[in-house]
Amino acid sequence: MKKIMFARDFLMYSVKGGVKFYVWLLFLGFFIMLWGFGNFQQLTKGMIVTGLNDQTTWGLYVANFVFLVGVAASAVTVVFPSYIYNYKPLKDVAVIGELVAIAAIIMSTLFITNHIGRPDRAWHFSPGIGIFNWPDAILTWDMIVLNVYLVLNFICAFYFLYKKYSRGKINKWFYMPLIYISIFWAVSIHTVTAFMLNTMATRPMWFHSIVPIKFIASAFAAGPAFIILAFIIIRKNTKLIISDAAINKMSEIMTYALGITLFLSFSEIVTELYPGTEHSYSLKYLMFGMHGLTQLVPWFWASVIINVTAFIVLLIPAARKNYALLFYLSALIFAGIWIEKGIGFILSGMVPTPIGEFVEYTPSIIEIFNCLGNWAIGLFIFTLLVKGAAGVLTGEIKHDALNVSNQP
Amino acid sequence: MDRREFMKSIGITGAAALLSNPDELEAKTTWAEHFQKAFRLMTDDEKDQAIKRLEERYSEEHGREVKVGKEPAMDGVLFGQALNIQKCIGCRRCVHSCVKENNQSRHDPQGNATEIEWIRVVKMEKGNFSAEDRDHGHPFKKGEEYGISEGGHAHNNVGVVLEGEHYYEPKKVPEKDSFYFPIQCHQCENPPCVKVCPVKATYREADGVVVIDYNWCIGCRMCMGACPYWARRFNWGEPNIPKDDLNTDTHYLGNRPRMKGVVEKCHFCLQRTRKGRYPACVEACPVGARKFGNLLDPESEVRKVLERKRVFRLKADLNTFPKFFYYMD
Amino acid sequence: MNCMKKIFIIIVLTALSPAVIPSSAVLADENKSTKECYESIEGRTNRDIEPLKSGEPNIKCSTATGAVLLWGDPFDGTIPGDTASFGLEAAPESVFVRPREKNLKYFPCTMCHEEEPGQDLQIMEPHPITMHEDIVKNPMDLQHGKGSIWCFDCHNVKNRDKLIDRKGKEISFNQPVKLCGGCHAGILRDFRDGIHGKRIGMWSRDGKKRWWVCTECHNPHDVEQGDRNSGFAELSPEPAPHLPKGMTNAEHERK
Repeated sequence: MKKIMFARDFLMYSVKGGVKFYVWLLFLGFFIMLWGFGNFQQLTKGMIVTGLNDQTTWGLYVANFVFLVGVAASAVTVVFPSYIYNYKPLKDVAVIGELVAIAAIIMSTLFITNHIGRPDRAWHFSPGIGIFNWPDAILTWDMIVLNVYLVLNFICAFYFLYKKYSRGKINKWFYMPLIYISIFWAVSIHTVTAFMLNTMATRPMWFHSIVPIKFIASAFAAGPAFIILAFIIIRKNTKLIISDAAINKMSEIMTYALGITLFLSFSEIVTELYPGTEHSYSLKYLMFGMHGLTQLVPWFWASVIINVTAFIVLLIPAARKNYALLFYLSALIFAGIWIEKGIGFILSGMVPTPIGEFVEYTPSIIEIFNCLGNWAIGLFIFTLLVKGAAGVLTGEIKHDALNVSNQP
Repeated sequence: MDRREFMKSIGITGAAALLSNPDELEAKTTWAEHFQKAFRLMTDDEKDQAIKRLEERYSEEHGREVKVGKEPAMDGVLFGQALNIQKCIGCRRCVHSCVKENNQSRHDPQGNATEIEWIRVVKMEKGNFSAEDRDHGHPFKKGEEYGISEGGHAHNNVGVVLEGEHYYEPKKVPEKDSFYFPIQCHQCENPPCVKVCPVKATYREADGVVVIDYNWCIGCRMCMGACPYWARRFNWGEPNIPKDDLNTDTHYLGNRPRMKGVVEKCHFCLQRTRKGRYPACVEACPVGARKFGNLLDPESEVRKVLERKRVFRLKADLNTFPKFFYYMD
Repeated sequence: MNCMKKIFIIIVLTALSPAVIPSSAVLADENKSTKECYESIEGRTNRDIEPLKSGEPNIKCSTATGAVLLWGDPFDGTIPGDTASFGLEAAPESVFVRPREKNLKYFPCTMCHEEEPGQDLQIMEPHPITMHEDIVKNPMDLQHGKGSIWCFDCHNVKNRDKLIDRKGKEISFNQPVKLCGGCHAGILRDFRDGIHGKRIGMWSRDGKKRWWVCTECHNPHDVEQGDRNSGFAELSPEPAPHLPKGMTNAEHERK
């Protein structure tokens, strides 16, 4: 009973807000409408409506998927200091990290659904009625880790919120093991996603043992960037108190992770370009273009400039404390890593094909609609989740004993 | 005819039209097709039913009687092919006979389907060494006295597969300064594509052919990412097969018409080879560069090639162990 | 009157012929090849599209070049192969060839070359000749054997419808394998084992096959590579793949 009340109160609270709130939701709603159109086109006509082809079989959908798995994994950057180091300022709002993970996993699932040619056959990999090629296929590992991670975060976040709501005591023996598992699990989701790509021996751009750690490092820069953005916005627009210390901790983590990412990128570039074998073609194509094809070059250098500049600025403690500046830096880093990982890493891995064909891929408008729509759906869900969570955390919604007794 | 009768007759014709509507037949079969098992897990009865459904649907869709076979791998047979790159003249007849034989999607000017070709012929340079490049190494001029570290003929692409041309279109082949290198599915003994398939829709059959169950494929394209030979193609749209050019003799795991959203590739013409016939590409090759047969029979043509010629496997470093060999006289 | 009757019958038959053999007309349309169909070499191995008993066409040709791409029945129009001349010990019933004589431009040769040749024609050293320029452009520079071979090393002077081997044995134009194999022994060995030359039909060791004979692929009057860089005649290639989505040209390939 209490649980139903919680769900009702949470939902009711999460959809109520001011003008700004509804404008934001309407804004997202516009993209969700485009998404509806795009998905209808793709489902009826097939993936021919995308810009993909046999040479570039993986495009924006996979790029966003990989990036968002990273964002999901980076929930750990909030959870880890909170529960391992017992860092109080973050612990108060750790649940927001978990909500980021939930929204990001939902988005990555949407992207994967857009990516596969026959989403109607998704049941083929359900164990029992279908065939689940585990442990051979890394994609099956990825499905396991992502789904478990979604469930873990859902339980952790809502168990915590529910206890807050009902003013109950948290059962440490139930809650803490889940937290520890979710910390380990966060690392695993991005590692497995990296393995999915870097075990393809025929794609030299990806066939690097550096990929998993670089994925995690860059995720721990992009994720906190997103969380900082969320923190600053939440602080401004709700009654939820997020301390400066919490933001400072996140910007610290972001700075370190960004530094490590840059170092790993640098190592990769030296390793590839110095010997300059055939295996460096994808990277050369990305950095300088090849055979006169230079579509990705501006993107690569944009991400380099963004990430390096942001890193240098972030090294200055005063800059990290200037939240107006930090807000823009975080947005830049989020975009910079998205370009680096999505456009840079995924798309260039497809060029040239394993037999040497250079093809430049341009996403179609439908593909862009679907991508924007997936993001909009994710942000929509995230907004509502955070709104409700803020209500619980501030005590605006709480279980009313009297109310319960009145219920039939 | 009064009004009532008129309405009634409309109702009857309408219902009749509905019943005879080909869409309905299609809907029914697609529904059943949708919930069928993976082919190799079906009982014989289920296989027959699935095949009957397909034959009905294909015949309806294409307006011709289509036969779908289910011939299993022959005993004591392991298929292999060898291709003589010295002989290949780059005429692409293999490509186009394969397209016709295997009901591949043709180019659609309206853009609702893409052209699919399972074989790609790459034109390679014979090398262009010129005297003036001899001394144009790196470093040039300054520092030369300490020796050149990169010669002026570096990046001369003779024999480099990754530097080939895919869209060559001369009046006549072979061209004087080129040789040609056809690439298709290598039917690996250790196929990376099979390993990565999350639903085992693609797998190796007993005769060594890597097949795809088109009704089981979910279209995730992991296999396309993993294939070192770029042998796999995707049906981006509903495949475009001209009615009068449909090959009605098909195999479930072979050349039956595919649907949108699934992957396909060369399967050594199962519909032919499992009935003893050479694959289409082998027959089409005007210079006899392709040799096909049973790798388990020492007297077979392909084994004779392995015995007598110098052979190599493409990208041997990846340990895929193809059953597609290249050789020279 | 009789004459008029004949003309009338001819007109009626001509008018009816499409109706009498509709299937072939349909098949020809199906192949849509405006070009003439040919097997190996354009103009030298031409074939007609005809319906098989099954109703399927005997061959399917490329609409772009006319080259035969698929054989409905690989043995359509073939004759048993002379296995002895192929150097095969056994004489399996699985070897078939397509007669070359149909495709020869001037066959039978005895239509013109009826008489015994004069002494001057029997000179075995290269010398100018006044005919067959379309077959041998410059007899003084025959592109086969670098001057060590002359017409009558292979053509039978006494019976122009046959070839002749070094021992004086007559060899059919249809199965010139042994004649060529007399010098190209290594190639004959590979040919026998099926690893030189082209075969269609059944892949199994003893399976029924149509063997392509030497002259179906090689022009014996022009086997030296010359500008072609290959022992084969130059062919028109089938069209290139369509450019992938997003690409407007393939110029980058040549950069």
